[in-house]
Amino acid sequence: MIELKNIERSYKAGHTETWVLRRVGLTIREGEFVTIMGPSGAGKSSLLNVLALLDDGWLGEYWFSNTPVHSYSRKQRADLARQRIGMVFQSYHLLDDLTVAENIDLPLSYKNLPSKERQGMVADILDRFQIVAKKDLFPSQLSGGQQQLVGIARAVVHAPDLLLADEPTGNLHSTQAREIMELFRQLNKAGTTIVQVTHSEENARYGRRIVELRDGWITRDEVLDADPAEVGSK
Amino acid sequence: MNRLWQDLRYALRQLRKSPGFTLTAVITLALGIGANTAIFTLVHAIMLRSLPVANPAQLYRIGDTGQCCVDGGFPEDASTTGDFSIFSTDLYIYLKNSAPEFEELAAAQAGQWAWSVRRSNNLPKHLRGEIVTGNYFSTFGVSSYAGRVFQNSDDTPSASPTVVLAYNAWQGEYNADPSIVGSTIYIQARPFTVIGIAPPGFFGDRITDNAPDFWIPVNTEPYVRGDSSILHHQESHWLYPIGRVRQGTDIAALQAKLSGALRQWILSRPQMISNGGNLLVPKMHVVLTPAGGGIQNLQQETGKGLNLLMILSSVVLLIACANIANLLLARATSNRSAIALRMALGAGRYRVIAQTLTESVLLACIGGLAGLGVAFLGSRTILALAFPDAQNLAIDPNPSLPILGFTFLVSLATGILFGVGPALLSSHAQPAEALRGMARGDGAHRDRISFSQKSLVVFQAALSVVLLAAAILTTESLAKKEHQDFGIVTTNRYVLHFDPAGAGYTADRLPALYRSMQDRFSALPGVTSFSLSMYSPLEGDNWGECVIQQGHGAPTHNMPCGSTWDRVSTHFLESIGVPIIRGRNFTEQDTAATPLVAIVNQAFVKRFYPNQDPIGQHFGIDKPQYSGSFEIVGVFKDFKINNPSRDVRPVFLRSLSQTYTGYKEPEMISTETQSMMMNAMIIGFNSPQQDVESLIRHTLAGIDPNLTVNDLRTFQAQVSGNFNQDRLVARLSSLFGVLALILASVGLYGVMSYFVVRRRGEIGVRMALGATRSSVVGMVMRGAMWQILIGLLLGIPASLYAGYLMKVLLWGVDSYDPLAIAGAPLMLIICAAAAGFIPARRAASIEPMQALRTE
Repeated sequence: MIELKNIERSYKAGHTETWVLRRVGLTIREGEFVTIMGPSGAGKSSLLNVLALLDDGWLGEYWFSNTPVHSYSRKQRADLARQRIGMVFQSYHLLDDLTVAENIDLPLSYKNLPSKERQGMVADILDRFQIVAKKDLFPSQLSGGQQQLVGIARAVVHAPDLLLADEPTGNLHSTQAREIMELFRQLNKAGTTIVQVTHSEENARYGRRIVELRDGWITRDEVLDADPAEVGSK
Repeated sequence: MNRLWQDLRYALRQLRKSPGFTLTAVITLALGIGANTAIFTLVHAIMLRSLPVANPAQLYRIGDTGQCCVDGGFPEDASTTGDFSIFSTDLYIYLKNSAPEFEELAAAQAGQWAWSVRRSNNLPKHLRGEIVTGNYFSTFGVSSYAGRVFQNSDDTPSASPTVVLAYNAWQGEYNADPSIVGSTIYIQARPFTVIGIAPPGFFGDRITDNAPDFWIPVNTEPYVRGDSSILHHQESHWLYPIGRVRQGTDIAALQAKLSGALRQWILSRPQMISNGGNLLVPKMHVVLTPAGGGIQNLQQETGKGLNLLMILSSVVLLIACANIANLLLARATSNRSAIALRMALGAGRYRVIAQTLTESVLLACIGGLAGLGVAFLGSRTILALAFPDAQNLAIDPNPSLPILGFTFLVSLATGILFGVGPALLSSHAQPAEALRGMARGDGAHRDRISFSQKSLVVFQAALSVVLLAAAILTTESLAKKEHQDFGIVTTNRYVLHFDPAGAGYTADRLPALYRSMQDRFSALPGVTSFSLSMYSPLEGDNWGECVIQQGHGAPTHNMPCGSTWDRVSTHFLESIGVPIIRGRNFTEQDTAATPLVAIVNQAFVKRFYPNQDPIGQHFGIDKPQYSGSFEIVGVFKDFKINNPSRDVRPVFLRSLSQTYTGYKEPEMISTETQSMMMNAMIIGFNSPQQDVESLIRHTLAGIDPNLTVNDLRTFQAQVSGNFNQDRLVARLSSLFGVLALILASVGLYGVMSYFVVRRRGEIGVRMALGATRSSVVGMVMRGAMWQILIGLLLGIPASLYAGYLMKVLLWGVDSYDPLAIAGAPLMLIICAAAAGFIPARRAASIEPMQALRTE
């Protein structure tokens, strides 16, 4: 599904150039659940931003379902991301002024879908995530776990092929974190390709593959044997 | 005191710390306060200031309207108001003798004339003089700068002719030569002794754009005007009485007493009470008006315009205040942690408010100081615009103590106005925030700020629409006035004003002079037309008479019989491009020996000969016995001859070659004689001329070097001069409108920029979730345009109401003018869209990755 070849990313600050990604090569197949790990400053979030097409300043080749993203214009990349990628943030990034239902509707509203269709999709996802009762509440009226649940619902409402999550449980306590990770596992089982960034070994075990970064280099790419279901039941 | 000083120092430091903010605020305030101060300088100088005389509060004028210059019989609107404001010499003396409540009651000529004044063998100068009574200066309590001022003994029929020079004229025209006192100068070729010079700053009895250069006593009027004198015409009203009432006088009782005296005097005039005039007598009255500020002619002319400008400039200041308040609100957010810290360290709420207000007031005072500079230049510019032809302007635009006081008070009020809201909002900071290290404040606080800012933008938008609508209305009104069909052709035509009487010409020498002028000017290269007339169209002069058709009796007092008239040379109509539409024009065959003929305009025919053939009809003026004086030989097309803002009045023209010799009454004889003095010359060329002024001056001097050019301008400029006041109001309204638009746009820009900064994270999230750049631009623009739309909802009805209030100032434009109603909102929408687009573009260029990281 995704093939990265020699991806490099650096930031310039004055006369110095700091490299955050060095010759990254990575292939992610459809249906995979990949965890990116590494210490702070290793380049995890930078890699995720490249995958999410939020960043344009990288070099190398990025193939998405045999599509050469690297030769795409900014607008084409944005269109691709809008259609096929969902994003979950560590700090949820729900809009304070919008209700739960309106927050979930947000990505759909950028797809020029008819209002009726959007309402149906939002209703479905509310039902699926069992948050119908919360649909008219504002983010400030929800717990952290509930907010992240809404964040994930928002990310998957348009049924993306690729779900990217940046420390999705970073702000949650362990019980809530487990619930969220369980949700990811179910989504993955249902066919969604997931790439998550995490520091948590426990969360990593929900995935089937761990890619580790250090100083921008991939230092480990390991497929796990453990059944995620077991992890969840621990 | 110590605390105030500490607050001031802190405020200064804060302002120094943000030079961009300080500069923007000071410029905005300088424009707002400066505009107000400039207008107030004029309002103060024209409307509020007392004459520089002793105890101005004691001065009262008999009369209240600006009627000018010579009126016969009853006032023009006698049948409706009965208000007398201008008086004959006889009536003035009668009123004076009837009212011992006046310590002194002087009189001054209602109009002021320009006369030819010569000293020894120098070339004559063209100066303005005013005829006043001998007690004029003593009534005002004004003494001389040099020599002496008039005494009653100077104003007797047997007194030798004397003149008092104005200080400005002495300085400007006579190089401050002290030897002029006691010397002889020639006014209209008559010798007068200069007895003194009036003190500096004394411009006479009224604020005017052409203050008198000298004063002469009433009793010298026949001496200087010869057969044209009106001093002893008992029903020719030409004086404004102005006097000093005794302490404790009941003004209402005095007014009633003088009204009674007026009616008594009228009843003693058989001429006035005949033909139904007696029925008007009970209505006749006078109004006593405070005259500490002088005769209020200019005030009445300019008052409405100045009031409008004062209101408009105040609105500009309000918009400026809203702008600064917006900037301060944005600052309040960034300063919130500092304020929270202060409160955590023990500062009370009032202390915080006082500190913030100190900064606002300091800022306003700096803006006020800069505004004084704007006002200094602005008031001069406004005066130049309002009175482009002023020769001796009795208005001092220099900042005086009241102006400085006004500016300070406005600055203070402005500082409090724009500072109080942000100060109150700042004071809501919670000390705990400081302890938590919050940098941006809580959401509720930000919402309050955001709501306040948006409300201010709505307020600005609403006010801007009102100002823009006012600007469109006044501009449209001016354009309608200027581009109306005057019925005349002004292209390549020049108007020269001269004064044969001033050059010593008497009636017997005039025909030769006019012939010489006709020959010499007509022979100039390129000249296509030439004419002489008593006065030219749209120069501001008007001669009126009551027309009586042959076979009709004297009109009753409520019958409209008034007609404008002018005496003109043969080719007058050609020289102003007006065609004859029936009958014939004057010809060289119309001479003193042939029957007296007149040509009339269409309005004349409509009023006096409806459904009749006017050609061959006879009419006369004032009395039935003269009703067969003139035969109508032609009808010419209507044109505007006096007031360009009114409908065309009936006009008849008489030939320069013919004089009516049958009048018996001295007044009528004198008017007929005076009408032989041509004062205007219209010269038409076949193409635009390069150096026409020297050509015309040279030609005139070649005819007689004693003839001075009193005024020379293009015919177009003369017509255009009628709209100076309108032009001033239109230009300043437009300036204020544009200023309001800029300020409102800047305000919107500021709010939207703040919005973008504040919602950077949100925008980043939206973009990360798929929002396109255009949808982000759309979101910001929608936010901006909502505020404008609400502003329009409030502003459009307000501008309709403003249009209704401005009705009296508009001409040819409806108060509910569609252009203003549509144009003002449209202009605001365009500017707001531009102002909103810049932050919207900035929002669209936010990198979601960066925004999320910052968040």
